[in-house]
Amino acid sequence: MTDAQLADLSRVLYSPVTLALYTAAAIALLAALSRTVGGEVARGGALRRLGRVLAAAGIAAHVAHEVVRGLAQDRLPLGNMFEVTSLMALVGVAGGLWYLRTRRRPELEGFVLLGGTLLLGLALLMYAEPGPLMPILTTWWRTFHVSLLVGGMGVFAAGFLFTALYLLRVRIDGLDADAGEHRGTSPADATVPEGGPVDGGGAAVAVRSAPDVAALRRRIPAGRLAAGVFLGASTVSWVWAVALEPLSTGLARMLTVNVALVAAALLARWFAPHLPDAEVLDGIAHRTVAFGFVLWTVGTIAGAMWAEQSWGRFWGWDPKETGAFLTWVAYAGYLHGRATRGFRGERAAWIGVGAFVTLMATYLVANYVIVGLHSYAGL
Amino acid sequence: MSRPDSAAPPVMDPPVRRAAPPPGPRPPHRVVLDAVAMAWRTLTRMRTALWLLFGLALQSAVATVVPQAPNVPGTVRAWLAGEEGPGAGVSGVLDALGAFDVYGSTIFLAFLLLLFLSLTACLVPRIRGWWRLVRRSQPPLLRAAAPDDVRAGVLVGGDRDAALAAAREVLSDRILGVARWRVRTAPDQVAAETGLWSREGGSLAFHLSFYALLAAIVLGQLTSFEGQRGVVEGEPGFVDAAVSYWTYDPGRWFPEDAHAGWRLDLASFEVDWIRDPLAPGAGQPTVFRSEVDVTRPDGTVERAVVEGNRPLVVDGRKIHQLDWGYAPRVVVRQGGEVVHDGWVPTLAGTGVFSGAVKAPAAEPDVGLELYLYPYAPDGPDGPRLTGAPWAEAPVLLAWQWRGDLQLGATQQTITELDVSRLDLEGAAWLRPGDVTAFGDVEVEFVELRRWVGFQVSRRPQVPGLLAASALLTLGLVTALYAYRRRIWVLAEPAPGGPDGTPRTLLTVVGRAFQRPDAAAEEHARLVDELARRTGGTRT
Repeated sequence: MTDAQLADLSRVLYSPVTLALYTAAAIALLAALSRTVGGEVARGGALRRLGRVLAAAGIAAHVAHEVVRGLAQDRLPLGNMFEVTSLMALVGVAGGLWYLRTRRRPELEGFVLLGGTLLLGLALLMYAEPGPLMPILTTWWRTFHVSLLVGGMGVFAAGFLFTALYLLRVRIDGLDADAGEHRGTSPADATVPEGGPVDGGGAAVAVRSAPDVAALRRRIPAGRLAAGVFLGASTVSWVWAVALEPLSTGLARMLTVNVALVAAALLARWFAPHLPDAEVLDGIAHRTVAFGFVLWTVGTIAGAMWAEQSWGRFWGWDPKETGAFLTWVAYAGYLHGRATRGFRGERAAWIGVGAFVTLMATYLVANYVIVGLHSYAGL
Repeated sequence: MSRPDSAAPPVMDPPVRRAAPPPGPRPPHRVVLDAVAMAWRTLTRMRTALWLLFGLALQSAVATVVPQAPNVPGTVRAWLAGEEGPGAGVSGVLDALGAFDVYGSTIFLAFLLLLFLSLTACLVPRIRGWWRLVRRSQPPLLRAAAPDDVRAGVLVGGDRDAALAAAREVLSDRILGVARWRVRTAPDQVAAETGLWSREGGSLAFHLSFYALLAAIVLGQLTSFEGQRGVVEGEPGFVDAAVSYWTYDPGRWFPEDAHAGWRLDLASFEVDWIRDPLAPGAGQPTVFRSEVDVTRPDGTVERAVVEGNRPLVVDGRKIHQLDWGYAPRVVVRQGGEVVHDGWVPTLAGTGVFSGAVKAPAAEPDVGLELYLYPYAPDGPDGPRLTGAPWAEAPVLLAWQWRGDLQLGATQQTITELDVSRLDLEGAAWLRPGDVTAFGDVEVEFVELRRWVGFQVSRRPQVPGLLAASALLTLGLVTALYAYRRRIWVLAEPAPGGPDGTPRTLLTVVGRAFQRPDAAAEEHARLVDELARRTGGTRT
């Protein structure tokens, strides 16, 4: 096959094939949830099995897309915003599903696929045809540095999803949200409040005893959720409104992203009563972010090493370096917040949300708005 | 409780209990001391550290939005002049706040200092506590199991002591000569704990690495050196000495006589692009490579290559290609006398390379503003400017100015002309070899070559930075993945076997402080191992 044919094939594999498979898998896995009662998941439901097959096929198609794209341009697909966002989705979905398997939390699989679908769509908004790289980028340093950071981005995306679901779940549990401190009933995972008392209160799960899913769902006001997600998404999507010409295109892009996120949030709200206990979600989110933080740290250090080799300085507060530092500080804040009295629980979770907003905003700003040394291949 | 419980996990932000202040007015020095103590306590709280971290993040966010003088001085000048950005007024306020140089501003340094103070105050007691734990801590005996503990029973033959000895053996594995479990034995149980020292130790290593990073950065600032110099291909290069560099940035402790005195000449330079406008990645550079000759003080000459990602190392100095541009050789004559003859380095803009000739030897001064269009074939209305960077049909547009160049009076780079006291005399298009005349001045575009900007740097801090980064990473991974857990093996006599031999029921209780899933798996493995070694049966 010629490179052009390979490029066509990779495009088809991405959209519609992977996109459709992820969407279908998300729908099937989420629908499987509504057939169960509370947090108890009936094992082996036909819908769930179908969803898993679709998800596996989606991941296979996604991997095939990456491989074919890599062959078409004769380099690793890690070179522009489309490729980075696409790989971020792949890492988030495959890594998220694998982690949920080890934690035995199949009820979260549908949400992971939902998040993966969103990221896949986001990457499609930034689609770029396959092409070669500048010679300065064809070095194993780049593979090392960029793949660690892209992996970190994917893991952080999964961590953000779990954090957001935790915040939804907390609303349902109606725990003392104002106190800002979530008191777990069991040391489900992660850090037990270090040195502090572990409350034995039975606040957690109303679901199992009260299967009135609709009443639980109503505890999350849909209007407020939609407005909040719209505003929250705007803290990132404004970049398109600023960067794209003409303004109408930018605003349309911004609105598209915001509306898609609001729709996803409302969908997540619909299935929120089936989520695991808040402290389980908090633990899963924490472990995920912790892993992402390790990847991000090593990836940033690798970047500094490459910069010393390539530009003759290890750190120069270039826009992307500043963005990486900012993201690192934000996630360090989240990890420390989880171990600090007065920040534990919901407040730490909000720091985690802010950290992901920081990640995405600096990713977009440093690529679209500010030109620095890292700006190579256009977008 | 006079002494802290050595078995308790470290508390990052312990509640502060103080005695009520004595009644009555306090003497003035007490007020000051109390205020200082209060400020210290506030500073050393974890919450304060989080807010400080947030402050640093906020300032970095400002630095992503506002241009930074060390990176893009030109943009900052344009902001301050009101030509770009939000206007001169807002820029003035930003400048007063130090927003154009966030990382060098007093506020940023103050936040950093406070954060390090806070970190120090937090770490000192933690290190002492950790040392005490490593030396003395003993796992507590189990009095009552908690609801979340994992438990499993193994029924083994033999009496209680033999069964407990077997349990001790299972818990006695070593890693690199260090016992993995810290074990304590009582008549009726074996208690074991692990993970606390490594977890807390990892966290301490992670935080201590910041001091190593800071030390390496500060020492590096003092002892490093960085200089930049442009070299025209085929022309004499430069000697590594303080006076040779166009920009020279030594650390405070870098002596000027530390230069090695080698000489660098640019033999040839290669740069190319994807020239097909329809090919994917059209216009991207494909090659960027200099062949240089390094002449050492003893006279030996060595041919070497400098490429992107592949700097040349000479005597511990790294030589990078930073920049390149075209260098037209321009001769300026006044009344037949040469007032300027030299290679003019030009800098790349969009589709054009710009530079300047300054000839103060002429009377009055001559200034030329030069714009080089590398690929401008002749068209019906003069040169057709394509914007392509390859020099297949170069043309030079020269604007001539006369008057006072104000050399030394105003800040101007070698590629800029300060035209505030100059008058425009005319402009002309020149191909290589062309001569044009403006009044009594003759300008000749002799030949076109290229120049490469080299950076020479010495950074003795790099090994220290690498070591600190390694410590940071190792500490981080350990702090996040090591987890503290305890195992108790309780022994109680069980009804004897069918042949009347004694039997013992071992109950294995596991308690995780972090990562309960991983701890539960390990607990199951330990129980299996215990059953296997003792030949017991799980109950």
